[in-house]
Amino acid sequence: MPANKDATSTASPILEARALAMRFKAPEGEISLFENLDLSIDAGDSLAILGTSGSGKSTLLGLLAGLDLPSDGEVIMAGHDLTQMDEDARAGLRAGRVGFVFQAFHLLPGLTALENVMLPAELAGDGAASDKARVALERVGLKARMAHYPAQLSGGEQQRVALARAFISEPQILFADEPTGNLDHRTGEQIIDLLFALNRDHGTTLVLVTHDQAVAARCAHVRYLREGALALEAA
Amino acid sequence: MLALRLLYRDWRGGELRLLALAVVIAVAAVTGVAWLADRVAGATETRAADLLAADRALEYPEPIPMAWQEDAEAAGLETALTAVFPTVVVTENSNRLISAKAVSDGYPLRGTLRTQSALGAPEAEPPGVPEPGTAWVESRLLGLLDLELGETLSMGALELTVTQILSFEPDRGQGFGSLAPRVMFNHADLDATELLGPGSRVRHKLLLAGAQDDVVAFTEAIARYEGNAVEVEIPSEQGEGASAIIEQAKRFLGLAALLTVIVAGVAVLLTVRHYAERQITGVAVMRAMGATRQRVLQIFVGKLLWLGLFAGAVGAALGFLLHLAMLGLVADLLGVELPGAGWQPLATGWLTAAAALLGFALPTLMRLRDAPPMRVLRADLGSGLLRGGMPLLMAALVILALMAWQAGDLRVTASVFGAVAGTLALLTAIAASIVYGARAWARRGGQSRLLWLTGFTRRPLTAVIQIVAVGVGLMSLFLLAVVRNDLLSAWQAEIPPDAPNQFLINIQSDEVDGVRQTLADAGIETVFYPMVRARLTQLNGEPISAEDYDSPQARRLTRREFNLSWADQLQPDNDIVAGRWWDAVQDPGKQLSVETEFAEEIGVGLGDRLTFVSAGSQVTAEITSLRDVRWESFNVNFFVLGAPGTFDDMPRTWLTSFYLPESDTALLNELIRQFPSVTPIDVTSVLRIVRSIIEQGSSVVELMALLTLAAGVLVLLAALQITGEQRRFESALLRALGASGARIRRMARLEFWLIGAIAGGIAGIAATGAGVVVAEVLFNLDYPFRPVTLVIGAGVGVVTVWIAGGLGARRYYRTSPMRLLREGG
Repeated sequence: MPANKDATSTASPILEARALAMRFKAPEGEISLFENLDLSIDAGDSLAILGTSGSGKSTLLGLLAGLDLPSDGEVIMAGHDLTQMDEDARAGLRAGRVGFVFQAFHLLPGLTALENVMLPAELAGDGAASDKARVALERVGLKARMAHYPAQLSGGEQQRVALARAFISEPQILFADEPTGNLDHRTGEQIIDLLFALNRDHGTTLVLVTHDQAVAARCAHVRYLREGALALEAA
Repeated sequence: MLALRLLYRDWRGGELRLLALAVVIAVAAVTGVAWLADRVAGATETRAADLLAADRALEYPEPIPMAWQEDAEAAGLETALTAVFPTVVVTENSNRLISAKAVSDGYPLRGTLRTQSALGAPEAEPPGVPEPGTAWVESRLLGLLDLELGETLSMGALELTVTQILSFEPDRGQGFGSLAPRVMFNHADLDATELLGPGSRVRHKLLLAGAQDDVVAFTEAIARYEGNAVEVEIPSEQGEGASAIIEQAKRFLGLAALLTVIVAGVAVLLTVRHYAERQITGVAVMRAMGATRQRVLQIFVGKLLWLGLFAGAVGAALGFLLHLAMLGLVADLLGVELPGAGWQPLATGWLTAAAALLGFALPTLMRLRDAPPMRVLRADLGSGLLRGGMPLLMAALVILALMAWQAGDLRVTASVFGAVAGTLALLTAIAASIVYGARAWARRGGQSRLLWLTGFTRRPLTAVIQIVAVGVGLMSLFLLAVVRNDLLSAWQAEIPPDAPNQFLINIQSDEVDGVRQTLADAGIETVFYPMVRARLTQLNGEPISAEDYDSPQARRLTRREFNLSWADQLQPDNDIVAGRWWDAVQDPGKQLSVETEFAEEIGVGLGDRLTFVSAGSQVTAEITSLRDVRWESFNVNFFVLGAPGTFDDMPRTWLTSFYLPESDTALLNELIRQFPSVTPIDVTSVLRIVRSIIEQGSSVVELMALLTLAAGVLVLLAALQITGEQRRFESALLRALGASGARIRRMARLEFWLIGAIAGGIAGIAATGAGVVVAEVLFNLDYPFRPVTLVIGAGVGVVTVWIAGGLGARRYYRTSPMRLLREGG
């Protein structure tokens, strides 16, 4: 898989996929989403995975983050083989190490912006969750809207809250799934600016899935998921 | 503490309010009912104690030793002495066999005496007992002896001045023990009568009252020390009829509490399912953030525990207020001082709440820990997480356990649970066939009809769930509101207003025709029963002795003379439960039919031979049938009946019973004058007590129905909440497509009507069916199946669902189409 050469050039990859395959059972038989993917990303680096709808890029992201297990292959995160761990062990590994930004934001509707941001820290038993969340919301420019509920915020504001939530536990790796997919172009640009700024500030490794070339171009490395394989170049 | 914080946030977001309300109602119902049942049962026990005039009594063949009374008082108990014996009183012109009763200060310890200062004067509670040297007598004795108040009578060596008419005595009227008119006098005068020599037939009693544990401990200590000589009397043994009715009242209260718990449980089940569905994505987010399954479980169990604690506290407080309100409403009926409110109902309520929450809510919430973290990337994952019957199975088990606990009777538990489970299955089957049938029909009928039926047929599964949920609520209501009333009527009908209140006994064979004629002249037709007084001497040819038995009841039965009778036909209030009733037409020979509880008490059954002796003649006969007797009918009944001819060699008297209006005393006086040896027994006062207990019980149950009604409405709202989001979306979509508000409301109305009519109709039929089962199995009453409840049920269902649904769903139909644009559906 020569396509992965430049992404595996440094000595200490924080995330690595080896011979990754994902297949589904369907009424018409087994369907292969992708086969034999290799991928590696170093700490502090950024990687965009580009693909069309249904190409399997979100599934790949989920496998890299340990949210699901592949049909074949290995995923090594921070030296741990995720495929050898059960879901709870993988969750333990994710805790405090991994952050997420989703296309659908996934803020909890009953919680205020502040409480949504606090949640990961609270789950980790962090006594200073509230203070940290305030700082994080201030950083994304939502100081005045801390007490607002998701329904009272615009899409762009909700995604900012999601960014603040993703960064509050200072993750080593941030997984972003179409972070601008539900936003207009201008708001999307602002969110991407903020995302990369935060990424830079925290030295976070970024794995980003998108169908937007412009967004992908902001990453240090770009891969194209096409017909079940990763390529260096667009078609 | 995170669970508490998250619970607070859920609450603030309005997420758990219906669930909390369901728990509050369940706990309020259970604690309210428990407090009420506790205190009312205490009061009915007090009533039963009235029939004994004490919490317990010790009966002794000798004068009660002074030491017993002193020890009892030292133990903090109230005491009083009584001595009852038959004797003859003499006046200037006449004499009469009477039942004398000496009573000491403090009598009666339970219940009250009532006296009149003149014939026809109002009844009043006397401040104490007759002063030494005075007597209170029953009014009929005045007539019999031609005596007036203020005059004197002689009892043995003692002269007593009659000062009051004794109109009510709580411990009077226990069987046929004391038939002669009563003369009550002071216990201090007992020795002065000089009537109590050796061998005299005196029943000395030490009456005791106080804290239950102390009373029990004291009487048991005496009984252990004295052995067979002393007999402990406890309230529940007093009066077969009254205690059977008290037992039924207790079961009735238990059943009412049970239904409230079940209906509230259904509401918990529905609301928690709705809540859990809305939590799946949030849990997936938490799991993506690194929360383990155990952590998720901890959070939700923690939330439940906190919720149970708070809702339990609110519910208990509400339950306490509720029971106070209920007591306030029935205070007049209770008529006796209630025991204080204990803490046990609080614990009972809290435990029930915990059991219901853990049983109804936890199995569903536990599923959440398996929410797939991948759902954050693929929204379709985990949508089937809550499917499956496990929570329902757990709920069924919890209901079964609660039922067994409340009913305390496996047969009752099985029949009530069977009725509920069968109804659920029936409701589901019928609802599903109607809904899916309508769906197929609407599909064939084209677009506009489909639109008309949209809410009903587009969500067939939720429509079925709603019908079942509403049906269960309505069925509970019908059971309580309609069937309960019918049951109560059937129950009350067992003691008709013209239940016999007068018994005439000791009628000689040559007097039967005369008495029958005198009664017939007064318009009273009655049945005369032969009666033989005989002693049971042998069982299967072996001599029988009181010492063979441990229980005082059995010892008394074997010591005393029996009232035996014979009959060719089985009375309607008797049921043969083993063996066969004889065929009187073909000379049946010597056979016996024995009442079941009596047979159990002295340990006999089918095929055993009993030997009775009366006035020198002896009869041995085989038991060929066992009978259940409904004593609460107050008809004349016998423990032992013989086939016609069995007791022909024994001397017999006759007895009869009839209803006489209380005011009509002339007939009785006429009878006594014509037939001096006939003894009349007036059971009006016993009946009065029994009837007031029934009325008291029914009022309380009616109030309890309100709680179940509240829980039923909650089930309705919970069912609406389940489809709320979908309704909101559909309404906005239809409006965006150009449907008018009126049209959308019309569609919703049609949907509610259909759901209400189907749910109500099935519930009506099911409730009356369950009523038949409950009446037969639990209360042994005849209860007719009434198909008209189908129509009544459908009507009530339509109105209920229309109102509750209309109010509950109104907000869903006000959604602006803009919402669709903003939320993307």
